[in-house]
Amino acid sequence: MLEVKNLKKYFTSKKGMLHAVDDLSFSIEQGKTLGIVGESGCGKSTTGRAVLRLHEPTSGEVLFQGKDITKISSNEMKSLRPEMQMIFQDPFASLNPRKSVGEIIGEPLRLHKLCKNNKERQHKVLELMETVGLTDRLYNSYPHELDGGRRQRIGIARALAMNPKFIVCDEPVSALDVSIQAQILNLLKELQAQRGLTYMFITHDLSVVNYFSDHIMVMYLGKMVEYASAEDLFSNPTHPYTKALLSAIPVPDIHQKTERILLKGEITSPINPKPGCRFAPRCNYATETCFKEEPPVVEVSSNHQVACNLNV
Amino acid sequence: MSVKITNLNVQYNTGDEVVKAVNGINLSIEKGKTLGLVGETGAGKTTTALSILRLIPNPPGKIISGSIELEGKNIFDYSESDMEKIRGDQVSMIFQDPMTSLNPVMTVGDQIAEVIAIHQNLKKTNALERAKEMLEMVGISGERACEYPHQFSGGMKQRVVIAMALACNPKLLIADEPTTALDVTIQAQVLNLMQTLKEKYNTSMLMITHDLGIVAEVCDEVSIMYAGKIVEHGNLVDIFDNTSHPYTKGLFASLPNINKRSEPLQPIPGLMPDPANLPSGCSFHPRCKYAKDICKTKVPVITQISDTHNVSCLAYEKETIDEFGGIN
Repeated sequence: MLEVKNLKKYFTSKKGMLHAVDDLSFSIEQGKTLGIVGESGCGKSTTGRAVLRLHEPTSGEVLFQGKDITKISSNEMKSLRPEMQMIFQDPFASLNPRKSVGEIIGEPLRLHKLCKNNKERQHKVLELMETVGLTDRLYNSYPHELDGGRRQRIGIARALAMNPKFIVCDEPVSALDVSIQAQILNLLKELQAQRGLTYMFITHDLSVVNYFSDHIMVMYLGKMVEYASAEDLFSNPTHPYTKALLSAIPVPDIHQKTERILLKGEITSPINPKPGCRFAPRCNYATETCFKEEPPVVEVSSNHQVACNLNV
Repeated sequence: MSVKITNLNVQYNTGDEVVKAVNGINLSIEKGKTLGLVGETGAGKTTTALSILRLIPNPPGKIISGSIELEGKNIFDYSESDMEKIRGDQVSMIFQDPMTSLNPVMTVGDQIAEVIAIHQNLKKTNALERAKEMLEMVGISGERACEYPHQFSGGMKQRVVIAMALACNPKLLIADEPTTALDVTIQAQVLNLMQTLKEKYNTSMLMITHDLGIVAEVCDEVSIMYAGKIVEHGNLVDIFDNTSHPYTKGLFASLPNINKRSEPLQPIPGLMPDPANLPSGCSFHPRCKYAKDICKTKVPVITQISDTHNVSCLAYEKETIDEFGGIN
C-alpha cells in the first residue's frame, strides 16, 4: 500500500540544518497498522506529514499504491488526497471554531465537489456522524460546545468523508482521558475492520501502540532505531533505546516489578547532528565506535531490524 | 505531616450556574506516606489540592463547608498571613505544567532563592548559594542558576520546579500530575528523583495523577475520585487486586494491557458528567453497567469493606445489596 524509501526531511534553521527525518525506509501493507513511537522531537509527526506531502520531503521516495507521490504535480496530488487523510492530535486546535460540526465534516466533500447538492451533502454528513457515534442533533453545534472525545470523533468523521484508503493518525488519543481514549481506539479499530483501512499510527504511548499496531517502528532523533512486529518488539526488544523505553512505562500492576533502565541526560539536538549513532551520548553500552560510525541496519530475525553497532 | 480532610465541599459560582467541584470528600495522609488521588478531567482533583493551600480563587470559588487539618490544626482558622508562612515552607506544590509555572523573566536561581529568602530569613547571596545546592540536588549544574526558564528543556524545567518545591524541606508535598507533560524516559528520571528525595526527608505526599501505572509505583494508598466524590479508597492491594467500585473497574478495563494485546478494550460508556449539572442519586449511575433503578435516587454512603478499604456504591450497602446480587 505504502512504501517509503530513504525519506529525508531537513529544515533550515538559524543554527544550521535540522535533520528532522533522516533516511527512513519502511512499508505498510494494505489493511495493516504501522505504529511509530518515539519521544518529543524524534521526527514522528514530521514523518507522518512528509508521507502525505504536507511537508515537501527533502529527498526520498514515497510510493503510494506503487506511484511515487513526491514526483507528481500538485494537481495530480489533489486528486490523490481523498485517498490519504489525516487525524490530528489536538481536537481543540484542529477544528475551525467558527464552523459548525456539519460544515466541518462537509467541507472536504464540498471542496472536492463530491456531492451534487447541499441536500445530498447533508445526508452524507449525517451518515458519517452516525458511523463515528455522534448524534445528529449536534449537526449545528460548534466545536467549543463539545468535549475532547466528541471533537476527536468529528476529526475522524472529516477524515472518513473522502472514503480514504490510508489514514495517518497523529497522536489521536493523547489529549483524551483513559475512559474516552478506549472509546476512540475501539472506534478506529472497528472502522479498520469494516473498511479495510491502512493506518500509520503515531504516538508516544507504548501501551497504546502495542494494542493498536501490527508493526512498530521506534524512532530516535530522525532515525529508525528498531522495526519489528508488535509482539516481537515487546517480547524481544533489541536496541538499548527500545529496552529503556519499554522499561520506563509505569505498569498498572502491583505484582509486576520491572527493573527500570534509567537513561542519562536528554534527547540531544537534531541540528547538524554529529556523525556516529545519535543515541550514543545517552546509551549505557556505547563504545568508541558508536561515536564515530553510523550504525548499520541489521536484520536480527525475519522482519525485525535494528540499527545498533552492538548487533553487528 | 499528617493531613486530614473532612467533608470538604467546594463550589464555583459562575453567575449562571453553580459548579459543584468537590462534594463532601474525606481523606487523610499519614506522616511520610504517599496518597494517590486518581481521576479524570473535571473530577475535582486539582480543586482538592488547591484547597489544602487555600489557593482556590475567590470569587468564583468558595469553600462551602468542611475542614482541612494539617498536624491537627484546621487551616480555615488561620489568617492569610499565617497561610503565607505555610505555603512553600511546610506545604509546597509541584504544578502540572512546568512551561507555565515558572516566571519567564526571572532566572531560575532567583526564583528558587526567593522562596528560601522569604521563609528562612536568609540574605540574598546566601539564599542564592542554597538555590544552587538545590539545583545540584535535582541533577542540574549549579552554574546554570543564572539562566532563564526558556533555556531549559521540559524535563529540566520540571526539575527546577521540584527544586523550588523542596527548597524549604516541606513536610507535605502536593504533586499535581508532575510528569504528564514529560516523555517516558524523562518521567522515569523525575519519578525516581522524587522518590529518593521523599525518602530522604520523610515527606508526606499527595500524588495527583490519572495514570494508574504511576500509582502502582509510588503510592501507599489510593483514593479514586469521580464527579467531586471519592468513590473508592484503599491501599494498593485493595485497589489493584480487590477492585470494587464499578468506576474503578471501568478504569482498569479501559487501559490497554501490555501483556495481553489481543484483548479488546472495554471503555466506560458515556462521558464525565457536567459538574454544574450532576446526575441525581449516584453520580456514576448513567455510565454504570450494574446500575439499578435505586441508583437514580439514592445517594450512596461510604461502606467499609475491610479495615483499609472503603467504597461508595449501593451494591455494597447492607440495605440495598440484595437488589444487585453481587457485581463481580
